Amino acid sequence: MEQASAPLLEVDDLAVEFHVGGTVQRAVQGVSFSLERGKTLGVVGESGCGKSVTSLSIMRLVPQPPGKYARGEIRFDGRDLLTLPEAEMRKLRGARIGMIFQEPMTSLNPVYTCGEQIIETLTIHSGLSRAEAREKAIEMLDLVGLPSPSSRVDDYPHQLSGGQRQRVMIALALANDPDLLIADEPTTALDVTVQAQILDLMGDLRSRTGAAVVLVTHDLSVVAQTCDDVVVMYAGRVVERAPTATLFADPQHPYTVGLMAAIPRINAAVGRLATIPGSVPPPWAAIKGCRFASRCPLATDQCRAEDPPMTEISAGHGVACWRAPIEVAA
Amino acid sequence: MTDVEAPSWDAPAPVRPWWQRLLRDPIALIAAAVLAVIVFCAIAAPLISPHDPFASSRAVMKPPFWSDRSDPAHILGTDGQGRDMLSRLFYGTRLTLIIGVLSVGIGGVLGSLLGLLAAFRPKLDPWVMRLVDVMLSFPAILLGLALVAVVGPGATPVIIALAIATIPDSARIARSIAVSVMKQEYIEAGRALGLSSFALFHRYLLRNCVSTIMIFMSMRFGQIILIGAALSFLGLGARPPTAELGMMAAQGRDFLLFAPHIAVIPAVLTFVIVLAANILGDALRDVLDPRLRS
Repeated sequence: MEQASAPLLEVDDLAVEFHVGGTVQRAVQGVSFSLERGKTLGVVGESGCGKSVTSLSIMRLVPQPPGKYARGEIRFDGRDLLTLPEAEMRKLRGARIGMIFQEPMTSLNPVYTCGEQIIETLTIHSGLSRAEAREKAIEMLDLVGLPSPSSRVDDYPHQLSGGQRQRVMIALALANDPDLLIADEPTTALDVTVQAQILDLMGDLRSRTGAAVVLVTHDLSVVAQTCDDVVVMYAGRVVERAPTATLFADPQHPYTVGLMAAIPRINAAVGRLATIPGSVPPPWAAIKGCRFASRCPLATDQCRAEDPPMTEISAGHGVACWRAPIEVAA
Repeated sequence: MTDVEAPSWDAPAPVRPWWQRLLRDPIALIAAAVLAVIVFCAIAAPLISPHDPFASSRAVMKPPFWSDRSDPAHILGTDGQGRDMLSRLFYGTRLTLIIGVLSVGIGGVLGSLLGLLAAFRPKLDPWVMRLVDVMLSFPAILLGLALVAVVGPGATPVIIALAIATIPDSARIARSIAVSVMKQEYIEAGRALGLSSFALFHRYLLRNCVSTIMIFMSMRFGQIILIGAALSFLGLGARPPTAELGMMAAQGRDFLLFAPHIAVIPAVLTFVIVLAANILGDALRDVLDPRLRS
């Protein structure tokens, strides 16, 4: 598992706060993970657990104010992104780090053609002439499987369907051949057939370009299909991290176990869908002990009093739970 | 490629350019035609005026052509000093339009930039908006009076006063549009592409706000012409020998009983210009606003 070279991306004890009207909302607290070149990392969790803030932080796009990077480092290729001057950061965005957003319907600038937007990012970062950039843009649109790219390049975003727009977004993110691609719920807004196509496309492009991918999602089936490693987040913290196969075979954190149990199975008897009782504590709540304790079936007094540290229970498999390793009833 | 596409109900036939859609609205078409004729007359005033608009004659208060006593040399009659009404209307429209266009143009551009900047840089927002509030508390007419008191009467102080009066409203409108544009995901996506602040401001924010701002300015144009005419009517605008519609109406006031045409004709023309500008502004909004498009 261990490689000699440093990982491409290392997030180390990242904490992001939002200062809103006198209250401090801790959206992300002490998140750490790392990602090797060419690998795919899934970041999973329910709404409001800090997934999107984490991914925006890698781009340093959390609006400041009200956001604030309170602690930690994000090392990309050895450099700490949180202390980089803005001009340097801008050179990385769109060039070495690409980002795909959740809403293809609203993520493209409506007043410019798709081609125009790809040409823009190419001319900024790669120093291509407009004519060369246009050629490359058509090439990129072809690569992402947009039909008749040489005419589609002059289409405005509103002339494309949702799946086609997401393809354009991917072309845009990959135009400058980035080392890292951040995909924030890239398939959530799409219908299931288009979802599968987009996931296939991303997998295909990843193997072709060798880009590492951070895939933010709440969909465990997407993770199972595409990721090498998984980070499970809950209420602003990483509660479990493991290689995908390990996580699905042997989930350790009660929250992960609950998430797995909540996946409806096609071959199971139709009954009440499994849920995790309770809801995520709000980010302004001051919590003593484990953040999941209030919803956890296994919680003890220790869980309610002290915050569990991340402990390694097998190679590459860490879990933040006092009760781990638990014996899952088979 | 086995590309199963989502049903493409959001991909309609090629969209016609906005001006083609505008011309399909008959009322807007009439308004545009009327305005075009008026603008042409204003621009071509020196060429098409039958008489010197400033030259007095002894043929005072001649009625227009529909009266028995009319003078064929003066189709719309003459004013209280025997000057040709038609020629004065051409020149008066010219000055009125210049005042309207310049003040809306200058005030609208400055105000919109302030508003966009406030939305783009939230740190500046409270400062810009308080400044706008201060400006908003001066009525245009009062501001005009104050400026005239300092500079003396003339078209320039009127333009300055009206431009300043236009700034707060345009800043507020531009800001409210820009704030909603800033919340769109494509702004964040633009940042994620590594665009410079200027490119983001210009290509992402401004370009997405500009049509709504243009509509506002075209609507504002009618109001400004009215306020400009009111200022001239009060004697604050253009100085007597020059012609301006509001001032012409004011001068005709004294002869309202014997020669009503001197006041009524410029007043009606002002009304027509404002009405046409408002109708056109409405139609432009319908055509340019994407929310009303389908």
